[in-house]
Amino acid sequence: MTRPYVPWLLVVVALALAAVYLFPLYWMYVTSFKSGSEIFANPPTFWPREIDLSIYPNVWTRRTMHVFLWNSTLIAAGVTAITVIFGTGCAYVLARYRNVWLDIGLFSVLMLQVLPASVMVTPLFVAFNQFGLLNYPRTAVVLAAAAKAMPFFVVLVRATFMTVPRELEEAALVDGNSRVGAFFSIVLPLARNGILVCAILTFMSSFGEYIYSKSIIQAPALQPASVGLSGFLGPNSTDWNAIMAYSAIYVTPILAVFVLLQRRIVSGLTSGALK
Amino acid sequence: MTAQIELKNIDKHYGAFHALKKVSLSIEKGSFVALVGPSGCGKSTLLRSIAGLETITSGDLHIAGKEMTGVPPRHRDIAMVFQSYALYPHMTVEENLTYSLRLHGVGKAEAKAKAAEVAATTGLSALLSRYPRQLSGGQRQRVAMGRAIIRNPKAFLFDEPLSNLDAALRVQMRKEIRALHDRLGATSVYVTHDQIEAMTMADWVVVMRDGVIEQQGRPLDLYDQPVNRFVAGFIGSPAMNFVDGVISEDGRGVVVGAGDRIPLARQAEPNRKVVAGVRPENLRVAEGAASFHFEVGNVESTGSATYLTSKDGALQLVQTERLGFSVGDRVGLDIDPALVHLFDPQTGARI
Repeated sequence: MTRPYVPWLLVVVALALAAVYLFPLYWMYVTSFKSGSEIFANPPTFWPREIDLSIYPNVWTRRTMHVFLWNSTLIAAGVTAITVIFGTGCAYVLARYRNVWLDIGLFSVLMLQVLPASVMVTPLFVAFNQFGLLNYPRTAVVLAAAAKAMPFFVVLVRATFMTVPRELEEAALVDGNSRVGAFFSIVLPLARNGILVCAILTFMSSFGEYIYSKSIIQAPALQPASVGLSGFLGPNSTDWNAIMAYSAIYVTPILAVFVLLQRRIVSGLTSGALK
Repeated sequence: MTAQIELKNIDKHYGAFHALKKVSLSIEKGSFVALVGPSGCGKSTLLRSIAGLETITSGDLHIAGKEMTGVPPRHRDIAMVFQSYALYPHMTVEENLTYSLRLHGVGKAEAKAKAAEVAATTGLSALLSRYPRQLSGGQRQRVAMGRAIIRNPKAFLFDEPLSNLDAALRVQMRKEIRALHDRLGATSVYVTHDQIEAMTMADWVVVMRDGVIEQQGRPLDLYDQPVNRFVAGFIGSPAMNFVDGVISEDGRGVVVGAGDRIPLARQAEPNRKVVAGVRPENLRVAEGAASFHFEVGNVESTGSATYLTSKDGALQLVQTERLGFSVGDRVGLDIDPALVHLFDPQTGARI
């Protein structure tokens, strides 16, 4: 095989993998457009015979989706706020100072990332119960999910801070600023892109948070859309087009944000903040 | 003359590493002082200690008569030009220039006027609304300078500011920095590893090695009277030649090989082992009887000067006239006895 064909082969492989990965998404949209009988047709149709959009408003009102989506937004916003405020400071310190204790700190932050939510949820539930936090279930979920999102955020933002040259801060100090002032007027604006990207990723992932919400929030009026969706699913579910319509309503905004910002997200993750 | 910056017994440890060892230095008001030495000698650490970017382990630091040992950089009223210029990439040239003024509560209009004035003196007037990434190396360098001079500080600190420029620009900026210093009448401390920069720009040169000041003085005094072999080899380009030898029986020369002897202008202790130091530019090709010889190993000509290097690489010679030697020639050399330096082979100290 000659050299120019290798990239083409790789592109084909990449497209095939992407197709496999994105197939469920495609199936979700297509199924939501199908009528009840067509869903169970054998062989399955890959494009609906007639597109029926009436299921969307129908599902929206029947499942009180505005309540679920509002809860999801609230939880995601809370998680993002906590993560950004505390994570940024933490990442800065980890990027600028080096000693044994900070290495241990960084290591434990990474350890947190390894622990799965399904393992953490039981001890967290017991602890929240003792603190009385279960009376404020959304707050409890925000705290739990923020702890889960924090390591990822800290590690990425730390890398962003490391791309900001130390000399800039020193110049600001000599120019008459304090450490805190130099952080806010020099370092933070330069790391802004990286922080923004990580904040968006945090928001998007906590918008789909499920495990903590499912176990901690009992009242349907306080549940996020992820839990609301699972209420739909049962052993005897046949309402597939409604379920898919619900999923589509839930997922589309996140997808839209990602597609709109994907260039910034990719460059923010790879190149750091200095430009 | 009063001391603008006074360092007394400054010690700096980084863990087990002893970066500055009891350094004492007094910098006169209005003088241009160069700290020079090989990398890792502590010159940058010393400068950063003056700026307050490094905390000193022990010792005393006074700036303009005030105790500044533990004072944070922002209260020291000094300006610093960094090697990388450290321009704020998210600010325009004007914002870079006025950053310190804004921090000190200077009004907008006044800061703008001041920036325009500084821009005029540094040749940046047309570039005020540009961002640092849109500037050339030399322009960035000027912004860094402008940012330092705009607030009229008690002292300017330069940390190898020219090392990122190309050779031609470096020579030009050397003159500009010196001219700026003279015009402002400021006190400047300039760190460099390039002894030519130190020699050409400074009134006072401080040579450092391993955290210790080896010698300080006026540039030409360092050149003429180096206190030890290290300073002798560091100051001057091309570097001084060192030849091992023994003082002759009569004490008026250094025997350096079969029949070769370097003459001395004064009486030295006979039969003592020494290292004789002769500068390449002080050696002459002998017309008649030569006092010592070398075999040509390499000839380089720049047009204005000819550089001869001996076959064993130990000796170098610079002549301003064009010499028609070729590799393998045996050349007789002569030197003015007053220009021969003697050093102790063990301690390196001047004899």
